[in-house]
Parts: sequence; structure tokens; C-alpha cells
Amino acid sequence: MPMKLLDCDTLIPEREQHVYIKEAGEDTTQFLPVSNAATIPGSLSERGCAFCGAKLVIGGVLKDTIQMIHGPFGCAYDTWHTKRYPSDNDNFQLKYAWSTNVKEKNVVFGAEKLLKKAILEAFDAMPTIKRMFLYTTCTTALIGDDPKAVAKVVMTERPDVDIFVVECPGFAGVSQSKGHHVLNMGWIHEKVGQVEPVITSEHTINFIGDYNIQGDSEVLQRYWHKLGIQVIAHFTGNATYDECRGMHRAQLNVVNCARSAGYIANELKKQYGIPRLDIDSWGFSYMATGLRKIGDFFGIQDKVEALIEEETAKWKPKLDWYKERLRGKKMAIWTGGPRLWHWTRAVEDDLGVRVVAMASKFGHQEDFEKVIARGRAGTVYIDDGNELEFFEVIDMVKPDVIFTGPRVGELVKKLHIPYVNGHAYHNGPYMGFEGFVNLARDMYNAVNSPLWALAGHNIQGGVQP
Amino acid sequence: MTRKADELVAYIQERCLWQFASRAFDREENIDGVLTLMGIILSGGSPVLKTPMDRLHFANANHLASEVKSAFPWLKELHKEDLLSVISGVIARIHVLTVKQSMNAELHQQAY
Repeated sequence: MPMKLLDCDTLIPEREQHVYIKEAGEDTTQFLPVSNAATIPGSLSERGCAFCGAKLVIGGVLKDTIQMIHGPFGCAYDTWHTKRYPSDNDNFQLKYAWSTNVKEKNVVFGAEKLLKKAILEAFDAMPTIKRMFLYTTCTTALIGDDPKAVAKVVMTERPDVDIFVVECPGFAGVSQSKGHHVLNMGWIHEKVGQVEPVITSEHTINFIGDYNIQGDSEVLQRYWHKLGIQVIAHFTGNATYDECRGMHRAQLNVVNCARSAGYIANELKKQYGIPRLDIDSWGFSYMATGLRKIGDFFGIQDKVEALIEEETAKWKPKLDWYKERLRGKKMAIWTGGPRLWHWTRAVEDDLGVRVVAMASKFGHQEDFEKVIARGRAGTVYIDDGNELEFFEVIDMVKPDVIFTGPRVGELVKKLHIPYVNGHAYHNGPYMGFEGFVNLARDMYNAVNSPLWALAGHNIQGGVQP
Repeated sequence: MTRKADELVAYIQERCLWQFASRAFDREENIDGVLTLMGIILSGGSPVLKTPMDRLHFANANHLASEVKSAFPWLKELHKEDLLSVISGVIARIHVLTVKQSMNAELHQQAY
């Protein structure tokens, strides 16, 4: 079956090019959903804005950096605290939201003076913090403020501070993806190469596209430590501003999230000749594969095998316990993009779970090539899915559990279908060997929770509609 | 030989991320680099690793060689010429799937 026009989309027939149901024997040279394209008017998209892609996903993770949002306070509030990425310095980045709090009068008279005042106020209020990401938003981009000029003045007046300006207002692209792109390219062009890291190991990497969600980076860092590998920069989980300025000195870029951070890995290869190794750090078997490749690159195979043996002995029995109980369950993945292809085979190989529907908010065609190549026949693949499509696909494939974000999660919960937070996790970390056991445990708990049945019970009599 | 190449192509499509790099030139470099080295490894040769990119391709090729050896026992029975012929067919087919006939409109964009 080629592209599919769902019943709910008859009034927006352009949606047919965004929905695909794979049949056996088909490949991506025959059918590939249109993606990274503007949302069709009339389609109730679940996407976020370009600013959100820069701030919430990448920049806001840095643990020693003020995140100044030049715009109305809502832009700061709505990208604060919705993703749990802790740090080892008491979670500085999760405690505060910074905003210039632009009002109507600033729209009329300009907001650059307000911006300078806010920057100085923030640095004065936090005297130990000397680094800042400064973001434009729709409002301040439309009125023509020049945040780079303001940042330059501040850095001249205060030579001990450094400011990186992300000029990516919400309307700059079709989805979060544009924000990833703008931040990546700005960082490589303006900041990488400015700091020389202290090299402490003969083996060095950048770990790119991991945001320490509920401690992912901490799990992986334990592996790197055991292998004697120095991470010059995590981009950007549990990282500092200056660590990411020294990325040019790594010998290898190991990439997990190719969508949000593949650009900087490509540029590091182009500009500095650092090879890019793509791995899946979600998935028990995938993690072992990734480590073995790193072992082959550095010639440390013995250390890698010892680590895999140790982790397998510790976690595999637990994973197998869940596998016995989850085998044959049907799963839907409705997340941003890469988790579709990271997870679809991983849950099948490691847990015996079948992925029956996948939807991507901001994936590009590259992501759909990967997921369709890895995914099952009969599975539904959707780009920029809308709410009515989700209802229809749920009826079609009847999933036992849905991994998605809180927005769609609320919708799913109202249908009394088990939901697991596929963005910020329920009880992570989900990366690495132990992480996949955590994912399995959350899936098991969701599928077997009695709450879903109770939620449909009307205590006043009858069944909830 | 074509059927054998198809089996390997299906396996590689499902398992390997290096064939899906962002741009056509990166895909071509990876496909040729990894699969050529895999052919050398499977046929008992000694790969020459001079550059960081050689080591990267070796890392991907060595793991893939080990996996396909257990997934496809017939590989061990092939003579070197036949093996390299199969690999050559795999390289050509992966080029078609991921570059030449790819529907990915971003593959040839010059600007990131």
C-alpha cells in the first residue's frame, strides 16, 4: 500500500503525502513521506516552534549558562522545566527562567535597552556565572532588535563574560528542527575552536546529541570512564559552555541524536577532519554494538568486551524478565523524529515488542528513510501527525502502549490507553544497558496498570463514555 | 549471486546507520569505505588503516562482518572472487537505494 489518505483527512487531502503504510517488499525509493515541510492549514499539528528547538532541546541543557530569552515571558516559561535534564552542579539550569519580559511599549519603542539591562541584571544577580545564551523570539525578531550588537557591547564592557546569540525566532522554520539547525551552525561558526581543552587521555571523543535526560549522560559517562575515554564535550548533556567550545580537539564524534545535532558533527568532520560515528545509545543490543565500534576505532576491544560482559551480567536477567512479559505487545511511538528509528528494532529485538504505528513531529526524510528501512511491514508511518489522525490510527492498530510527549499523552490518557513519556521519560534514564531495563519497566508498569480500566468506570454508575 | 547480495542488502538496510548520512557525498564515502573494508575482512585480508576515516570505516566494517558471518553461514563457503562479486553487488544496490534513486530531497542541498 502506498501513501494513505486517512478518513479524517478528506478535507485536507494534501495529508496523504505524509502518511505511509509499509508493505512487504517495498523500499524507500518507492515511497517516502513528505517531511520537514510547512504544516498544512487545517491540520492540528503537535509541533513546537523553531525557538523551542534551540532553547528547550539543546541550549537550555548547559549547566553553567544563563538562558536569556528576549521576548514575552511566556516564551521563557513554556520552555522551562518541561524536560528533565539534570546536572552534577545542583541543577542550575533547571532552577531558573530568564526573560526580558517584553511588553507592548517595547514593541513600539524597541527593546534593545531593555535587553542590555536584563543581561547586566542577570550577570549581577549570578556573579559566578559568566556565560549566556541569548535567544530572539518572534516578537523581538519582528521589531528588528539586534541582539548581537547588544551582546557585543556587553562583552566589551565586561571582558570576563561570553554570550552566544541564537537568532531563531519561533516562526523561522516549520518546526523545532530549524532551531536545532540554527544553534548547531551558529555554535560551530562562532564558538568552536575558542577554548583549548586539557587532554587527559590518548582517546578522546565528543558525544553528540545526548541531553542527559533523567541522567542519560551520567550512565554513558560511566562507560567512557571505564574505557579510559575522555569526553571533550557532551553536546550538550551535563556540559559546560566552554567544554563545547573545545569540540575541535576530539578524535571522534560519536553521534546519538542525528536530527538535533548531526549538523555540528558534519561540520566538525568538514572543518576539522573529525570522523562521525553514528550509534544508537538506546537499546541493549544497540549499546553493545556502539561500544564495540568505538573499541575498534581506538583499538581497545578488550576493555570494551569486559565492560559489555559486566553490564550484561548485571542487567540482562532483568531485561529478560520484562521481555517474557512484554513479548507480543503492540507499541506506538509518537515522538520528535529520531526515537522512531532508534527504538523500533530495539524494542523488537530486546523486548519482543512490535511497533505498529510511528509519528514524527519534526523528522526529515533522512529520518523516514532510516525508520522505514528498520520498521515492520504493516506499520503506519506519519509525518507531523494531527489529533484526528491519532484517533483514527489508534482505532486501526489498537496499540497496547504509546510512547509520546505530554501534549499527546494527555489525549491518549483520556482514551484510557497506557502512555509513557517518550520525550522526558517516566522514570529514566533510558540510555545504555540499565536504561533499556528502565524503559522496559516503565512499559511493563504502564501496560499492567489497573488505572486504565478504573478510569473508565463511572462511580455514579455505568461506564464513562 | 544476486539473491545472496539481496539478502545482505536487506540486512544492512535494517541495521546500519552509516548508509543514511545527511548528504549524498557522505553516504557514498561511507558505503564504499565500509563495504570495501568488509570485503577485505571477510576474505581474510588485512585492512590498511592510514587515516581517521579509515579507522571509522574499519569500526563499522568489522562489526558488520562479524554479524553477517553468523547471520549468513553461506558466506564462509564462497570463494574469494565470488565473495567480492557479491560485495560489489551489495555496494551497487545500496548506492541505488540510498543515493541514486533516493527520494530524499535534502541529499543534494549544498547549504546545511
